[in-house]
Amino acid sequence: MSTDLSHFQDAFFEESADHLATMEEGLLNLEQHPDDLDLLNRIFRAAHSIKGNSGMFGFTAVGQFTHKMETLLDRLRNGQLSVTPAIADVLLRSTDCLSSLLEAARGGAAPDPETIAKLEEELASASGGQASPAEPGQGPASAQSAVNQAIGGRHFRIRWTPPSWLFQRGLDPIQMIKELEDLGTLVSRTLDLSSLPAFDVLDSECCYLSWIFDVETAKDKSVVESVFDFVKDEGMLTIEEQAKGEGREARGDAKELTAPPQAPRPSPLAVSDSEPKPLGEILVETGVVSRETLDHALSQQKRVGEILIEQHAATPQQISQALQKQQESAIHAKKGADTASIRVDTAKIDKLINLVGELVITQSMLSDLSVRFEMSQLAVLLERVAQLERNTREIQERVMGIRMLPIGSAFSRFPRLVRDLSGKSGKKIQLVLSGEETELDKTVIESIGDPLTHLVRNSADHGLEPPDERLANDKPELGTIRLNAFHEGGSICITVEDDGRGLNRDKILAKAIKSGLVSEQEKLTDDQIWPLIFKPGFSTAEKVTDVSGRGVGMDVVKRNIEALGGTVSIKTALGKGTIFTLKLPLTLAIIEGMTVRVGSDTYIVPLLSILESIQPKAEAIKTLVGKGELINVRGTYLPMMRMYEVFSLQPEYTEPAKAILLILETEGERVAVMVDEILGQQQVVIKSMEQNFRKVDGVAGATILGDGTVGFILDVRGLLEIARRETPVAA
Amino acid sequence: MGKTVLVVDDSPTMRQMVAFTLSNAGFTVVEAGNGKEAMGKIGGGTKPDLVVTDLNMPEMDGITLIQEIRKNAALKFTPILMLTTESSDDKKKAGQAAGATGWVVKPFNPEQMLKVIQKVLPA
Repeated sequence: MSTDLSHFQDAFFEESADHLATMEEGLLNLEQHPDDLDLLNRIFRAAHSIKGNSGMFGFTAVGQFTHKMETLLDRLRNGQLSVTPAIADVLLRSTDCLSSLLEAARGGAAPDPETIAKLEEELASASGGQASPAEPGQGPASAQSAVNQAIGGRHFRIRWTPPSWLFQRGLDPIQMIKELEDLGTLVSRTLDLSSLPAFDVLDSECCYLSWIFDVETAKDKSVVESVFDFVKDEGMLTIEEQAKGEGREARGDAKELTAPPQAPRPSPLAVSDSEPKPLGEILVETGVVSRETLDHALSQQKRVGEILIEQHAATPQQISQALQKQQESAIHAKKGADTASIRVDTAKIDKLINLVGELVITQSMLSDLSVRFEMSQLAVLLERVAQLERNTREIQERVMGIRMLPIGSAFSRFPRLVRDLSGKSGKKIQLVLSGEETELDKTVIESIGDPLTHLVRNSADHGLEPPDERLANDKPELGTIRLNAFHEGGSICITVEDDGRGLNRDKILAKAIKSGLVSEQEKLTDDQIWPLIFKPGFSTAEKVTDVSGRGVGMDVVKRNIEALGGTVSIKTALGKGTIFTLKLPLTLAIIEGMTVRVGSDTYIVPLLSILESIQPKAEAIKTLVGKGELINVRGTYLPMMRMYEVFSLQPEYTEPAKAILLILETEGERVAVMVDEILGQQQVVIKSMEQNFRKVDGVAGATILGDGTVGFILDVRGLLEIARRETPVAA
Repeated sequence: MGKTVLVVDDSPTMRQMVAFTLSNAGFTVVEAGNGKEAMGKIGGGTKPDLVVTDLNMPEMDGITLIQEIRKNAALKFTPILMLTTESSDDKKKAGQAAGATGWVVKPFNPEQMLKVIQKVLPA
């Protein structure tokens, strides 16, 4: 029988993440509703569960820290203390610390011990007393039982009068007698019926009996006593050790009589999986140095960074950069860990199983039909095939649905973020969330967290004005940031909206000219100006703040979103506010594509990137020296690419006037791509090129088409790069 | 058929671990996420030979659950073990007063849990 519980660790971490979220959300709400007892109970239970579970896996650091939080929470929910902003704050910071402790237990970077110690102190003082003692008895498995073995037979006399409620609490004296027998030999057992009342007043549910047992055992007195663990507080129980072989009563316990104590054997559970002990701990345990000496020595220890700075081997800047890198890699490690598993609503799975059942039925009807098929049954066959198609499509949708999670999990970090930003910047900000139930692919959810965080920070820092400026402009002092998610067609839209000052056209333009992004002569429309803020190195913040304005960010946001196959757009009105809209595909595994033909080959163009398709007039095409072919589309010249040239194919048409031009757009750049024919629109499942073959420029992936052949999915961005490379600037 | 144990805990991890331990030991395990759910299972026909319950739970806590179970004539003498992290005796006392048979102190390992069960559940 396997009794190893360690494979429940993942479940523990996942559950703890939920509890942390509950605590954080609860604490944020608590600031608004300090008297909400339900809320307090919820937070308490979350902390309590983490504490209880962490002990099961031997994560004592987590358990001890949570215990301190729990102590404070317990006082709050018992009404001994009331919630103040300071208490909420210390609890929130402790939640963060707890989160890093859990991360450390999972193998991540350990949090700074000073931070922990400081928080523990704050928690204790908030609890209104000295630090509460750590839970005793946390260590699993007692080493004691090992000591107690191998000692010769001992004789105990037990006198026991059980409490009268014995039966009413599901206790059975027979079980206990059996347990005594298991200890060694039950030499004698005397039942005392003297307390039994007269029959007419006897309550059959009460216990009126008492016993005297004589037990011979190799076990210690405490082991014998443990048989009565659940009853010893009431009733009467005495356990006396008798000198062996004689009736003489010997008082006192084990120490007087027994062999020298053996060194306790550590329990296997306590050492399994644990790391080797630090040297200092071993020295203390073996008595080489005292705990005080060790602590003193440790406090003198310098960190590597400090030593290097002292030796002039590195500058403080280099060290702090390296530290930052270390932190980043810790964050990175965390990200990787997040993708381990997915929790699926059982209703979704049940539905899926039903559908598979239907699929099986359809399949058996079809194979039945195929065995003795006659042309007269063609209509039936077609109907069955249509049914199969319905089943398949629905199963496809449902299976994709398994990866679909409500976006709320990506939103949940923002109440805290906004609270902190509000505190730091001195602006009053309220956050309004909506559409949290909107579902999208787990991978997408995990990837949009950072870009969204950046946008929200950006809104808080650049978008919203300080309170006095808002009041001066007849706006409410309280600024609002809205996060909303909704479905639109086959995509999901997420908007980050603020009612702040809006983007300043002149400021952006000036900055762009200064940094050489545009020339002074260029006449730009608003819609051409706003995307400038996504250019690398662009920041209009007048001063660099802690929050944002380091000149990195918005370009990263755009790049991240585009890496997911999405787009970012901006709507803004001066003095009224700004809306950033992220448009993302629902999933990364399937795209909506347009199938096109070039010669005898089929290609798929992602639908999102197609603006229009045209059949050009011959005179609309110009060839510029060094710039390749250009096409005039309603007055704008776009670069034109012939697909058959890019992929070396045999086309049906080489004259653009006979072929079809697809106008594709990505990241604001447009290109016209020449193909023979448009076949139709369909959903395709993306198969990776890198995993199955190798990276091919201009191709994002492959898919299996209806007729079983392979079709390539165009990478529009890659095509643009090819176009740029192959048309070098004229010498 | 092994004996049936009703495991009540709001923490899915803890519930899974207890269920895993008990199933391995040959018990039939019925799980519930809180007291109310547990009463629902009992109302739905589950007749446990043993109840293992957490104390801090939403909807209906462990103490109330124990009291409710003891009101049921069929379960009056059924052993009930509570899972507790409390080192203080207060919770144990409160549990016993409500009618709990005994307790298992968290953290425990599977052997410790089974040993306590052996104590209260006739083989």
